[in-house]
Amino acid sequence: MAEVILKNLSKRWGDFVGVDNQSLDIHDKEFLVLLGPSGCGKTTTMRMIAGLEEPTSGEIWIGERQVNDDLPKDRDVAMVFQNYGLYPHMTIFDNIAYPLKVRGTPKAEIRPRVERAAAQVELTQFLDRKPKALSGGQRQRVALARAIVRTPKVFLMDEPLSNLDAKLRVTMRAELKHLSRELKVTTVYVTHDQIEAMTLADRVAVMKHGIIQQLGTPDEIYNDPANLFVAGFIGSPAMNLVRGRIEGGQFLTEDGVKLSPIASEDRSEVVLGVRADDINVHEAGEGDIDAPIYAFENTGEASFLTVEWGDQRVIARGDRHLRKDQDDVVGLSLNPDHLYLFDPNTEKRIRL
Amino acid sequence: MTGKQRKQVWNAVQLTLIMIATFIMLVPIVWIFLAAFKTHVDVYQLKLFFTPTLENFSTVFDDPYRLGEKLFNSTIVALVTVIFAIPIATCAAYSFSRFRLRGETTMLVMILATQFVPAVVIILPFFVMFRDVGLLDTRLGLILVNLAIVMPFAIWMIKGFIDGIPMDTEEAAMVDGSSRLQVIWNIVLPMAAPGLLTAAIFCFIIAWNEFLFALILTNKNAVTLPIGLALFKGEEGDLWNLLSAAGIIIMAPMFVLALLIRKYFVQGMTMGAVR
Ligand SMILES: Nc1ncnc2c1ncn2[C@@H]1O[C@H](COP(=O)(O)OP(=O)(O)OP(=O)(O)O)[C@@H](O)[C@H]1O
Ligand SMILES: [Mg+2]
Repeated sequence: MAEVILKNLSKRWGDFVGVDNQSLDIHDKEFLVLLGPSGCGKTTTMRMIAGLEEPTSGEIWIGERQVNDDLPKDRDVAMVFQNYGLYPHMTIFDNIAYPLKVRGTPKAEIRPRVERAAAQVELTQFLDRKPKALSGGQRQRVALARAIVRTPKVFLMDEPLSNLDAKLRVTMRAELKHLSRELKVTTVYVTHDQIEAMTLADRVAVMKHGIIQQLGTPDEIYNDPANLFVAGFIGSPAMNLVRGRIEGGQFLTEDGVKLSPIASEDRSEVVLGVRADDINVHEAGEGDIDAPIYAFENTGEASFLTVEWGDQRVIARGDRHLRKDQDDVVGLSLNPDHLYLFDPNTEKRIRL
Repeated sequence: MTGKQRKQVWNAVQLTLIMIATFIMLVPIVWIFLAAFKTHVDVYQLKLFFTPTLENFSTVFDDPYRLGEKLFNSTIVALVTVIFAIPIATCAAYSFSRFRLRGETTMLVMILATQFVPAVVIILPFFVMFRDVGLLDTRLGLILVNLAIVMPFAIWMIKGFIDGIPMDTEEAAMVDGSSRLQVIWNIVLPMAAPGLLTAAIFCFIIAWNEFLFALILTNKNAVTLPIGLALFKGEEGDLWNLLSAAGIIIMAPMFVLALLIRKYFVQGMTMGAVR
């Protein structure tokens, strides 16, 4: 039973602000993902929770206790490091057993628990090897096993899948999801991979420049972005963001291309957000507007059309059987239920 | 010339150069090795074939030379120096490597700078101080001096090894539940072990071969092997056969140690340099 509460937490190095006065309530048993681009302060936040970095100001609570002055060993957390942090001079068994040994677990209990953790990450046949004799993915799983061998108050995982190849990443992601549902321990998970964030999280905190931009469920983050940054960061491909204005219930791009009716009062400066999925592709003349294709890409499971509206390019997603060529003209229509408006100056969402 | 031929020629050139260098270095050692088994009469002739004798080795341990005492002194001094130097240097090196200390760079440079002070410059103050506190001609005095000589070297060398241990590993151990001391004992020491061993052997070699301080600060009770060699300068001239036998006794442990650390030598030297 442990919630993690950050109160006005800051980390500065000289003038540089790593984490800027952030507050965050992580519920008991919640899987919270910290998502953001490189250098936004994710690792720093997590290291402060673990006690490896001292906050410049602010409070950290784990459960009922303020832990600011506690050593890492007294915080009862388990951490998976980005580069594994394995003990190269110990066998895999001893690596996984270390947290138990150092915390004085009775000898008889250690072996079964290590074996169970190893089985959970399918490492059983490697227990006698040294880390050097394992592949990257196997080492990654050792790091995970070392974390789950104990039931700590909080799991901290720093990009635990970042060093795996694409395929292994997908299987390990499923494995993690399964484990987290089974173990039900409060987890803070750092990543800059939005698919990981969307699939694993109960809630996602999107960070940029040391500030949490939005905190919400994956659905909320995807379907209800709070600002331009979140809209442009989440989704693959990212949401199309088109600069323009609104006149008489119509959205016009900067260079006057009439795009779509929209239920909003007139505005002279606005950014329209629309996902590739919400742009329907038709034959020329059958949509709301015609546009030339700048590039046509076929990924096998879908086709992506980059089209030009005036000076601005947007990506539309077409059927996987669609075949078009560069410079062909297609008709497009926007799904009116899934349009977003943003203020380009404040970058905030304009709610319709 | 084809590329392959050129490579062969180049290999031959390299081999020749290495042979010449080896030859130049080995000649004196071979000479000593031969002389140690010759009689006093044979020693002045450059004979490669002679009847070898072990007599020299027993003579040097007898009166009046009594090399055994010197051997004992040398062993005690070098061993005790290492036994104290390595743990102390490890503590210092760990602090320098892991904590941001005030004036850290200055301290490190100063420690290194002590190595550049010529021994002859400080030997007189040492002599006076030791005379005043009664440390002249004692093994304890020599141990203290040798500690001062090897510590800077040991600190720098061990720091290089500890720098090479990723911070992540230590942090993982702390989160896993170790105190700082447990981290050092369970993680840092085992991982730095090859480095510690290399440093220990280097320190031993330095202390074992130390000559100048031992020459000035001892005269009878605490005389070490290198100084002991001077005994073989008698009225009848230099006793080369005895000198050579003693030389072999001094060199033997060095050969063994050199073989032992060969594997770690490069690792130890480069680990500090990469960072
Ligand atoms: N010890 C330090 N001294 C100065 N600046 C630091 C220090 N550690 C981190 N930073 C800076 O703080 C910022 C946040 O770093 P952090 O490691 O939290 O990023 P991150 O979000 O984890 O990025 P990534 O996805 O690349 O791991 C970075 O700009 C980094 O340069
Ligand atoms: Mg990071």
